[in-house]
Amino acid sequence: MDMDASLLVLHGLAVRKSGTVEQIALVTGQDADLVRATLDEGIAAGEVLGARDVYMPTPAGRSRLDGAYATTYGRVRADERFRAAADRFESVNKKLLALLTSWQSVSRAGTNVPNDHSDPAYDAKILDELGELHERTEPLLETLAGQVPRYRAYLDRLAAAYDRALGGADDFVSGVRVDSYHTVWHELHEDLLRVLGRSREE
Amino acid sequence: MQRWHVLLDGTSLPGRDEIGGKAWSLARMCQLGLPVPPAFVLPTRVCHAYAATGKTLPAQAIEALHAGIGYLEGQTGRTFGAGPRPLLLSVRSGAPVSMPGMMDTVLNLGMNDTVEGALGAEAADPGYACDTHARFITSYGRIVLKGDLDDAAGTPEQLRALAAEETGAVVPDDPWEQLAAAVAAVFASWQSARAKAYRRHCGISESLGTAVTVQAMAFGNLDDRSGTGVFFTRDPLTGAPEPYGEYLPRGQGEEVVSGERTPLPLNHLAAQLPEVHAQLLAAGRTLEADGRDVQDVEFTVEQGRLYLLQARTAKRSPKAAVQLAVALADDGVISEREAVGRVTADQVRGVLRPRLMDEDRAGATVIATGEPACPGTAAGLAVRDPDEAVERAERGEAVVFVATTTSPEDVHAMIAAAAVCTETGGSTSHAAVVCRGLGRPAVVGCGTGSVAALSGQQITVDGESGQVFAGALPLRTVATEDDEALRRLTRWAEAACPVTVVPPDGTSYVDLDALQVLEPAEVAAAVQGAQAARGSVLDSGAGIAAAVGAGLRIIVTEHPLPVLLAACAAEAGAGIRA
Repeated sequence: MDMDASLLVLHGLAVRKSGTVEQIALVTGQDADLVRATLDEGIAAGEVLGARDVYMPTPAGRSRLDGAYATTYGRVRADERFRAAADRFESVNKKLLALLTSWQSVSRAGTNVPNDHSDPAYDAKILDELGELHERTEPLLETLAGQVPRYRAYLDRLAAAYDRALGGADDFVSGVRVDSYHTVWHELHEDLLRVLGRSREE
Repeated sequence: MQRWHVLLDGTSLPGRDEIGGKAWSLARMCQLGLPVPPAFVLPTRVCHAYAATGKTLPAQAIEALHAGIGYLEGQTGRTFGAGPRPLLLSVRSGAPVSMPGMMDTVLNLGMNDTVEGALGAEAADPGYACDTHARFITSYGRIVLKGDLDDAAGTPEQLRALAAEETGAVVPDDPWEQLAAAVAAVFASWQSARAKAYRRHCGISESLGTAVTVQAMAFGNLDDRSGTGVFFTRDPLTGAPEPYGEYLPRGQGEEVVSGERTPLPLNHLAAQLPEVHAQLLAAGRTLEADGRDVQDVEFTVEQGRLYLLQARTAKRSPKAAVQLAVALADDGVISEREAVGRVTADQVRGVLRPRLMDEDRAGATVIATGEPACPGTAAGLAVRDPDEAVERAERGEAVVFVATTTSPEDVHAMIAAAAVCTETGGSTSHAAVVCRGLGRPAVVGCGTGSVAALSGQQITVDGESGQVFAGALPLRTVATEDDEALRRLTRWAEAACPVTVVPPDGTSYVDLDALQVLEPAEVAAAVQGAQAARGSVLDSGAGIAAAVGAGLRIIVTEHPLPVLLAACAAEAGAGIRA
């Protein structure tokens, strides 16, 4: 059971802070036309602001959304398998962040300096470990998607980011301005925290 | 002649295509007369035979393993799979080019209960032998059996059970079975989905194949005259001409790399085993002369005897890149023209970045301290509200975004800010990953209450030391003319460069930024007939190459050296990324 379209669009906006129709469609795994129509309704209802094709939730929209999580995801929150998979995700999250740190910075004489990506063997090893981590994340996300089917969209986006990274597009590992592996993962993490009503540790 | 195994005994130097990059480097060290643990290679042709025979090891490969092990036993005086002095092996993949998906190295192969007993007796330390056994089970279970054993701990017996539970396969007791399975796993990894995808993306030929290197383990934890370390022939951080290194007495190689234990400075080795230290420095000089660049060497000392495990060109900081290029030219190792080719435009931009100088830092008040998460220094007004941070930044104000934690919602504030501070989280938090992705100086984990204490003030964030200072401290740039290495490199680059690069001094030029010429492909038309031009597109090798090709003679820029280097690289045909 998931939220209705109007809440889901608000949720997508909240996870990303703001976004275009296409971005919100990606995050929530919904059809773009539906998202566009729902955003227009949100504007009419005073729950969404839109300017230059970028949308944001209003305080009223945010407040209705925050109140809706507990009721919508009450059963999900009570589900043992879902919670166990989310716990496991937290531990994989720590490994991912450590791995991305190794991708971004390397130790030189005891000091960390930015990785200039001049060592293909070093980068290949990290991409390999990222692939390993991705494969271990798949069953976890399948379990989560068993309760919240839209989580399958994250799996596709993570796989797409990994594929781009493997193809030599370095920015798709941890770049900020593209749908990199970390960008998608960070959104997934935020999504999960909201669904479970948990707070961020860091 | 078709060989099923190749001994790395220094008598010949086989090609990288045959034995792989890492084994080639070992073979080269052997040829230079340097001490390397004995090793042999199953060449890439065995990989092809493995695939052709339906993914089994051909009989000739098994014979080759026996012949190779016989050689290792003869060289080490140890016995594979038995005491009193057991032989343990490392088994690694070795493709001519490195790629994701290839099997990682299995260490301590040849271990079982009997061997553990013998090793414990030899080292007079049963605990150490048991630990080595446990490491082997984890390594084999993770790498050959592909189990998730990252967080596994316990006795060898427990780990065996865990590996079996996790993978449905057993870690064999018989060392020969272990060896055959590890070798087959290397060949199988050539066909892994990840390796195939990478080759397809990068246009690497499927016909290359991987080799397998089998090498005797050197025991860095056998006694007090044993240890392991890493060593740079010159300092890779500052570029100072002194060797730099770390040594872990009674340590195995992976402990240094993984940071499990804190190593000691290299001079500890000089005090404890001076002959070994001298031999190591001499080996470094040999390798540096042979590689014509600074080397990064991994080594192990076994009972007072030095072994080199790996040597490669050292990675270096931007500052060290400049210093080392000039020093190597001064030492006659490389020419001045080569020195110019050893430094990238990006490295010089890194060196020329405005920074906090020691004299400015000295008088400043530290108002928060955390973990450095992204290097660099920036100052601005500390703002805790992400929307306000974005609005102020849009008005042109310098802003430091300060946050308790950061969620994806805050990313737009981190993009807008000059620097970032957080209350919680370490250098591997989401915030740290985002800041590094953006190149924003960041200090994380400043402690509860720091956001309230900082916000509203002008602050300076030092992402190198992890300190936050009161006030907007001045950031200064090293002047190229004040730094001897930069000045000399500039002269050498000018001599080698196909164009003249000058600071803005009244020369009239075509302003490519004003013309909105931002793509290298548009440069030629825009500079047609002009003598001089200026613009951000000329920061990149491709932009410069286009301008030079169109007959441009002069480039105008505030910082000539990065442009000179990019131009030299473009001319050398290296072509650098924008």
